[in-house]
Amino acid sequence: MQTESNRMNWTGKMINLFFCILSLALLVPLVLVISISLTDEKSLLTHGYHLIPLQFSTKAYDIILDAPKALFRAYGVTIFVTLVGTFFGLLFTSLTAYTISRRDYRYRKMMTLYVFFTSLFSGGLVPFYILISQYLHLKDTIWALIVPYLLSPFFILIMKGFMDKLPFEIIESTKIDGANEWRIFFTMVIPLSVPALVTIGLFISFQYWNDWWLGLLFINNQKLIPLQLLLYRIMSTIEFLSNNISTVNVQFNLADFPSLSARMAMAVLAAGPMMVIFPMFQRFFISGLTVGAIKG
Amino acid sequence: MKKQMFKVVTGAVSLAVLLSACGSKGSESTSTASPAASAAATAKVEQLAPVELIWNFPLAAIPADIATVQEAINKITKAKINATVKLQPQAFADYTQKMNTTVAAGENYDIAWTSNWNFDYVTNQSKGAFLPLDDLITKYAPSVTKSMPGFVWDATKISGKIYGVPNYQTVTNKEGFIIQKKYADKYNLDVNSIKKVADIEPFLAKVKAGESKDVVPFLVDRNGRFNSMLRSNGLESIVNAGGANVIGVDLSNPDKVINFVDTPQFGKYLDLIKSWHDKGLINDNAATLKNKADIEKTGNAVVQFHNVLNPAGPASYKTANGGNDVIVVPITETWAGTGSIITTMQAISKTSKNPERAMMFINLLNTDKELYNTISYGVEGKHYTKVSDNVVKINKDAGYVPNASWVFGNTFNAFLVEGTDPNVVADTKKENETAKPSPLMGFKFVPAPVVAEIANIGTVVDQYNPGLVTGTVAASEKLKEFQEKLKQAGIDKVIAEVQKQLDEWKKTK
Repeated sequence: MQTESNRMNWTGKMINLFFCILSLALLVPLVLVISISLTDEKSLLTHGYHLIPLQFSTKAYDIILDAPKALFRAYGVTIFVTLVGTFFGLLFTSLTAYTISRRDYRYRKMMTLYVFFTSLFSGGLVPFYILISQYLHLKDTIWALIVPYLLSPFFILIMKGFMDKLPFEIIESTKIDGANEWRIFFTMVIPLSVPALVTIGLFISFQYWNDWWLGLLFINNQKLIPLQLLLYRIMSTIEFLSNNISTVNVQFNLADFPSLSARMAMAVLAAGPMMVIFPMFQRFFISGLTVGAIKG
Repeated sequence: MKKQMFKVVTGAVSLAVLLSACGSKGSESTSTASPAASAAATAKVEQLAPVELIWNFPLAAIPADIATVQEAINKITKAKINATVKLQPQAFADYTQKMNTTVAAGENYDIAWTSNWNFDYVTNQSKGAFLPLDDLITKYAPSVTKSMPGFVWDATKISGKIYGVPNYQTVTNKEGFIIQKKYADKYNLDVNSIKKVADIEPFLAKVKAGESKDVVPFLVDRNGRFNSMLRSNGLESIVNAGGANVIGVDLSNPDKVINFVDTPQFGKYLDLIKSWHDKGLINDNAATLKNKADIEKTGNAVVQFHNVLNPAGPASYKTANGGNDVIVVPITETWAGTGSIITTMQAISKTSKNPERAMMFINLLNTDKELYNTISYGVEGKHYTKVSDNVVKINKDAGYVPNASWVFGNTFNAFLVEGTDPNVVADTKKENETAKPSPLMGFKFVPAPVVAEIANIGTVVDQYNPGLVTGTVAASEKLKEFQEKLKQAGIDKVIAEVQKQLDEWKKTK
């Protein structure tokens, strides 16, 4: 008995140790990123990265926060886009997925193929640009950041896969009880699909939060610049100039930009809010995945 | 529940309405924005119909307070050419991508900044993105022609026509060394003794022996320095692939296109850099160092080789070297080539609805000091203050510091920023006028027929070049392999194409 409990203790300790090391492996890079962002650029270049800054400096943040108004506005734009985009994205995705998952819908196979087909082929960048800017006239509006990501065939198909498993009998019985289609969708299908909705909602919101591409293409109005584009721009411009400027005949002083520490400062600023929000979502995420209408 | 559902539906419907509303508004504005203004050709300002010009240009960072400056500019342009200008600055790194989509989509804009290193002038001209400007210049911008030497205009010509107005600045090049003064003084460097690259070696050896390990005698990045030593080796580049100049001409015979990797000059450079590498005279991370500035700004780089030395240089080299004083030792004559001129220009879009007014605006940018200084430095009293008649102090916190007046127009019209050497302007002008124009002045290679080959060459270069040109790998080991791989990648086909285009260009000259 004693030996057995000792061995239990020993394996328990090993498991604990393993998870301690795992947590450290996850935490250390994060701490390193924060520490680098607070280190003086010159000491980074001469002495490399250290967990505790050798020479403390907030210059990287000073440069990025040079125009705090622009940064806060960009946060606002991104938060708005993420909230609105996720809401409508989820709504449209689930509506589409539900429709093509209904077994009594005659054009179901055709519609599924249609959705699937668009995930294989895209029109290319220029037609996409022309569609958004010249047909939909969304250029320089906040909707240019939202509309293109509203429906993704991939998410629709995942959602359809989930909804396929909802027993059709539930829907039929609700119908017999006198509910119309909208009511069935919002009072039966949506609550039963919470796990899928949370998962896909998280994907969609990440897509909106991390996007700089749409902003780059369609936004000229500085008031509508999303956060990631603002940060990406600083970084890519430093990179671009350092690669080009030495060979061309123009005057530019690159020494002003702290590129290594600025990169990390940007990572902190861009990821920070999500790191706070994610644990709050996580609760729903896990319960949503485990608690469904029907198990198996 | 019913209420909730209602909300969702109304939400969806209102979004749809909003979108369609945006749509209709947009189409309205495009339909009204097509006035028949071109009728008023040589008319006086009062007779010109008011128009709005859209101007795309790149900057390092998009200024926060662009609105005030745009307003100030429009006051000037309204009075002089009855036009307003919409400034559309983009970040340098985004500019090519953004303009490529704009051009491909056939979107309307009037003026675009273009160059040979960002939103390429020749490529976009061959796509038909720009209007030929010769007639517009003679009609609407006669004073621009006189503001620059003739060879500057020759450099911009593509098949005999001008498609871009250069932002006149320093157009000359010299190659040579930039040496930190404190080390030059400490080790009694005689600058007159340095006539060619190898002459610097004794000094490098002294620095190596006398300084700590952190100090780099000669700074090299992964692209090596052969790229910057072309002129001192009597070469001029035409094609750059994978970050290296691989095809061009030997100036002793500028009619024949050659492969630089096969030249004796390249072999000699490789041997020299290999010996420097083995003696520890260059930084040991050279083969992987992407950005030279990373070491430069620590102030630990003693000697560097640079291919663009001009009178404005020393001040910027000093800040780049961590604030240490530098001396500049040129080892070539002053010269001007196509590449040093078409680095910054304004072109007019083929989609422009008012090309003649756009040309009038470009004319003002190059000749009207008030307009040019407003776009370069902002509004007086807010974004900058005057120290004296021609010298300004920039207010860095006011939200308008483009810090790149060469993007906008003739830099000789600019106020001096406090702290710059007032002699620089006169020196630059003098060098520009006395520079020796290259025999290839005006020739521009159109890469379209051999893009695939150039891309393949780029891959090969990226694989072999960093090791070789930093002296990490000996030429005896890898040079032959490099040359063979280049042949397989199709370098001969590219050389033949360049030769063909060069011969055709020679005939039109």
